[in-house]
Amino acid sequence: MTIREKGYHHWDGQFLERRHPWWPITRLGIRLTFKRKFFKFIFSSSLLPAVVFLAGIYISERLEDFRGMARIESLLLNISAKYFGAYLTADFLLFMAVIILVFCAAGLVADDLKHNTLQLYFARPLRKRDYLLGKASVVFFFLFLLTLVPGLLLVIFKLIFSGSFRLLRENPWLPLAVLAYSVLFTLFLTAYALLLSSLSRNGRAVSLLIFGVYLFSDMLFNILYGIFHSPYLGLLSMRTNLKLLAVPLFGLKPPLGLPWGYSAGLLAAVVALAAVVLVKKVKGVSVIR
Amino acid sequence: MSLSAPANIELKDIAFSYGRIRALQGVSLVLGSGATGLLGPNGAGKSTLLRILLGFLVPEHGQGQVLGYDIRTQQPEIRRRVGYMPEDDCFLPGMDAVTFTSYFGELSGMPRKEAMKRAHEVLFYVGLGEARYRLLETYSAGMKQRLKLAQALVHDPKLLFLDEPTSNLDPQGRREILELMIDIASKRDIHVVISSHILSDIETVCGRVIILNKGRVAAQGLLADLRETHFNLFELKLKGEREGFLGKLEAAGCRVEETEDQVLRVFMPTDLDKRTIFRLAAEEKVQVRHFLQSRTSLEDLFAQTVGVEG
Repeated sequence: MTIREKGYHHWDGQFLERRHPWWPITRLGIRLTFKRKFFKFIFSSSLLPAVVFLAGIYISERLEDFRGMARIESLLLNISAKYFGAYLTADFLLFMAVIILVFCAAGLVADDLKHNTLQLYFARPLRKRDYLLGKASVVFFFLFLLTLVPGLLLVIFKLIFSGSFRLLRENPWLPLAVLAYSVLFTLFLTAYALLLSSLSRNGRAVSLLIFGVYLFSDMLFNILYGIFHSPYLGLLSMRTNLKLLAVPLFGLKPPLGLPWGYSAGLLAAVVALAAVVLVKKVKGVSVIR
Repeated sequence: MSLSAPANIELKDIAFSYGRIRALQGVSLVLGSGATGLLGPNGAGKSTLLRILLGFLVPEHGQGQVLGYDIRTQQPEIRRRVGYMPEDDCFLPGMDAVTFTSYFGELSGMPRKEAMKRAHEVLFYVGLGEARYRLLETYSAGMKQRLKLAQALVHDPKLLFLDEPTSNLDPQGRREILELMIDIASKRDIHVVISSHILSDIETVCGRVIILNKGRVAAQGLLADLRETHFNLFELKLKGEREGFLGKLEAAGCRVEETEDQVLRVFMPTDLDKRTIFRLAAEEKVQVRHFLQSRTSLEDLFAQTVGVEG
């Protein structure tokens, strides 16, 4: 008995010459991430700091109406470039970014390795850089929604609430600083997550690694700093390194007085390492028979 | 670098090494339409050859074209027009068959809506129409095999590479996949290359075979021609001291194998007369108790060519 329910028909359409052949990979990655349990709740929660900082901007423009809250932190009342830097370097934001990486990035490469799908990708007219860009863009999408979009919206809302361009006159490079920090922050975390994702075929193990390395780097710094009191131990902490990146962009006080260049070099090295490992690990041919 | 002729695959003097291990050397082929079986023992170079044809690997030496496109410089064009069904289970967790199949159609360059429409069609074709919205994790081995075939067909390839398409299937699943392969191979405008260890599958589907051994083409051509021209096969049962007899047969150019039930299978060059067997048996005082000229199967051809137990 035949299993065919219909005969074979040829397709008479035309192939597209896509400018961005990686886009279907990104679109599917985003769609599958949103389908994951609890992700929508987690992602909504991660936007909480943006709402708090937005409220801060509103209050700063309506001080007269909020006299009862006059004792709130001076940062909230004085909206400068540092205020936006404070949003982008908030500990909670980084914590939520790492949680989002667990959801959206852990399985990006690991699942393809586990389920042997790389050979299906590369049996298509797809280059390695298209595949990697498609996967990385999934992470870019979520992290930009967490950093760049709220960062720029906060600037816009400040202009709207104040009814003047004073903020931009005093800090003309502010939108660029928000853009630059968001790009650097996202680039590092994407490289970090994809690097770990390519090192294992087990998505759960990668999830643990993504969260574990972030936590462990901070714990190690705290323990060693408690013993040796050397500020350079801050370079062990992912959180401190990412904060140091914001120092030149927003004029923030450097944590532990460390020069930001060291952190920039360290994070760039991780990105370069990730690129090398990914190029080696991602290939259509994995088995030699 | 044109190699002339409208063949689907033309390779000339292809060589490839994994480090010091030479996987392919001096491989030259010309394949037209229909179904071709790619045979060879483990390590013969079958998978390497498929990967070179797909553009996964670039040959160190030699030149070739697939569907008129250069295997060195026009790999994306080849991949757009070629379907590949790998041996291993491949699926993406959390997806249904329609999404999976249309996704790979899109990655081949199909417009999104057309990829989706075509995914439905090919899933019905391979018999997964009713299960097309089920999560892939819940599929049986046979269903996964058919899904791999669907993703290979979604962009309507001109050339289809099937790597061990019936491995790990129960007899019913195997029959179903074979039926699909025969149907696809019967289309004059789709050329199918099947790499398989299951020789009977190749015999069922393919009219033409290529036998690889130690990285070289050991034999190629129409199955019927290969059967006819190389040797005759005789099955014998003997009584008596047979060492001398076997030695003389081999000295005469025959290859001899013994089956588990002690039947001798003698592969005799076509230029030798079958009466030679009786003459040599008489000289060595061996009784021939059973003599049968057997039809050579692909397995026999394979054993004769490659020199492994059939």
